[in-house]
Parts: sequence; structure tokens; C-alpha cells
Amino acid sequence: MEELVGLILTAGELLLTCGAEMARVEETIERMGRAAGFVQVESYATPTGLFVSLHDPQGKVYTRVKRIRGGQSNIALIAEVNSLSRAFSAGEITAQEVRRELERLQQAGTGDSLTRPLIGGGGALAFAVMMGGTWLEGLVAGLVGTLVLLVVSRLEGPFPKVLQAAVGSVVAAGVIRGLGRFLALNSNVTILGAVMVLAPGMVITTAIRDLLSGELVSGLSRSAEALVIAVAIAAGVAVVLSLGGS
Amino acid sequence: MLVQVGMGFLAALTFGYIFRVPASQTVRCGVVGGLGWTVFLVAEQSWGEVGAVFLAATTVAVLSEILARRHHQPVIVFLTPGIIPLVPGSKAYLTMLSFVQKDYTQGVVLLVTTLFLAGAIAAGIIITSSLFRNFSRTKRMGR
Repeated sequence: MEELVGLILTAGELLLTCGAEMARVEETIERMGRAAGFVQVESYATPTGLFVSLHDPQGKVYTRVKRIRGGQSNIALIAEVNSLSRAFSAGEITAQEVRRELERLQQAGTGDSLTRPLIGGGGALAFAVMMGGTWLEGLVAGLVGTLVLLVVSRLEGPFPKVLQAAVGSVVAAGVIRGLGRFLALNSNVTILGAVMVLAPGMVITTAIRDLLSGELVSGLSRSAEALVIAVAIAAGVAVVLSLGGS
Repeated sequence: MLVQVGMGFLAALTFGYIFRVPASQTVRCGVVGGLGWTVFLVAEQSWGEVGAVFLAATTVAVLSEILARRHHQPVIVFLTPGIIPLVPGSKAYLTMLSFVQKDYTQGVVLLVTTLFLAGAIAAGIIITSSLFRNFSRTKRMGR
């Protein structure tokens, strides 16, 4: 039983660090707990902590608290844990197999140090053009977006997300202001495209979905996270723009 | 117009990659985003900006719910990248720019517009997923 409790807790932790909605985390824990033979499963998930209480048929109660430290958005991992828990509750795979899979998922590094910035640059290009930029502005936004993601990926780990966003937007605005002296750029459109790669899009969507399903604590805390990141991006750009004499 | 639609597709696809959507689904994410952006562009003339964003967000949410059920994926796989082209990033940026340049009147106008646009997106998602949730609950328990 002790082992199963750990397994369920790991699954919940993995979902939370990847940015899953609370309803999904609690549903997964509930589903796995029932499948593992617990008669009553109570869980309470927030973006920063997970509480699980499992009652076994003998009346013994296992309660665990898990502190969640911020991770990275990873929808693929959420989808995998989700289907694992479904297969487990349907009896298609054993607890051992679930454990092995979870360990594999935990260790699977991102391993995309260069492709991610490059593809993100494509996103920056698309945004600049969507906002009415020319192809030149799109190209510059794309290159700067790639640069921003490269810089930010170096900062990951020791620095909080807010600082990453601020530094990234300072870099974006600074480089584009500098290039603007040599190229005919609409710097607003270009900067906008480049900083979009920092925007907390995933946090915003999950915040909305959390609020909708009545998860007020995580909905509000995620909205606050998104707001703080957005303000950090804005502040970074603002600092550069005001230094450059508008 | 075609370029714009293509860019909407590209934006959703690349952001799908950034959010690490399952590799097999990234193209579908792009299609959802491109269609959402198309709806916005078409509806903007007659519905106005806020209405068009609402309509586009609803489209994206409906498509995401349908695709999620068909391909056995969580809804956020399609919803998160699909909504990205609609996010009022430019308005938020211009708001901040106006404040920095001490044009507070313009800044407040833009701020309110940004909030309305964000609200329209949220409303589109909320209405659609509540409808789908009720619908699937009557069909079979769970999701």
C-alpha cells in the first residue's frame, strides 16, 4: 500500500510541475487511488502543493503532503501521465509498469536546446507579420525571438520566471532598437513579435480553465503568475524604450 | 489574407512546439490556430474587434473539444496553442508604450480594450467547455 501511495503522489507531482489543470490532477489521483484499491480518496491540489489522503479497506489512512516547485509547461507529459492513469484504472497495466513509465518520464530531459529557440523564432515571425509587419520586420523579430529564447534558456534554473521574462524583453527591445538605427523597422511591431515568445500563454489558458471548474485558489494564483510575467515583460521593454529617448 | 491565415497556422504550430504538445498533434494545433485567426479576420469587419475575438475563441474551443475527444488527448493540447494567435499581445504592448510615453488617456483606453479582448477569449472558452462538459456528462459519466 505504501508503495502505491508513493506512485499516486508521483503522478500528481508530475502533472502539477508540467502545468496541468487542478481538475485533471485531482481526477487522476482519484482514478488511480480507486484502481489501487483505496476505498476513499481525497486530494487537494494547488500549483505549489499537493495534499493526498487515501483510506484503505482496513480503515488505515495514508496522508501525504508534497511541495511542488515550479516546472516547465509540458503538455505532452501531461497527456502521457493522463493516458497512463487511464490504462492503470482500466487494469491494462500493473503498478510496476506505471512506476517504470513515470520514472522514465521524470528523467526524460527536454534535450532540444537549439530546435526550441529556432521554432520559437518562427512563432515570433508569424506574430510580427500577423500584427501587420513587413517580411523584413518579421524576419528580424524571428531572429531576435530565437536569441531571446537562447538567452532565457541559459537563465533557467537559478533565476525565477519573472526575472527570465524581464531579461528576455530587455534583450529583445535593446537589440531591435539597435538594429532600428540601420534598418527601416517599425520597432513596435518587431519588438512585439519578439517578446511574444516570452508570453505566459499556457498559464493563462490553465488559469481560465481552473477558474471555470471552480478551482479558485489555483485559478487566482495562476492569473497572478501570468500578470506578474506580463508586467515583467512590459517593464523590460519600457526600460529600454525610455532609455532610448522614445 | 492567405498570408495572414498561414501566419496564424505558423504561430499556433510553433507555440504548440514551445509548450511541448505531443509531436503527433502539432499540425492539428496549427490548423486550429489558423482557423481561429481566419474567423477573427472575417468577423472583424461586421462584429468589431471584441465580438470577433469572442467568435474566434469559441471556434477554437469547439474545435479543441472535438479534436480532443476524437484523438483521446487532453483539451489543453489543442486549446492552448490554438488560442495564442488571438491573445491581445499587441494591445497590451501598446498600453504599456502609452504609459511609458506619459500618454495616460490613450493608455487607459488601450488598457480597457485589452481587458475586454481578454474577457472575450475567456468567455468563449468558458461557455464552450461548460456546454461540452454538460453534454458529455449526460452521454456518459466522466469525460
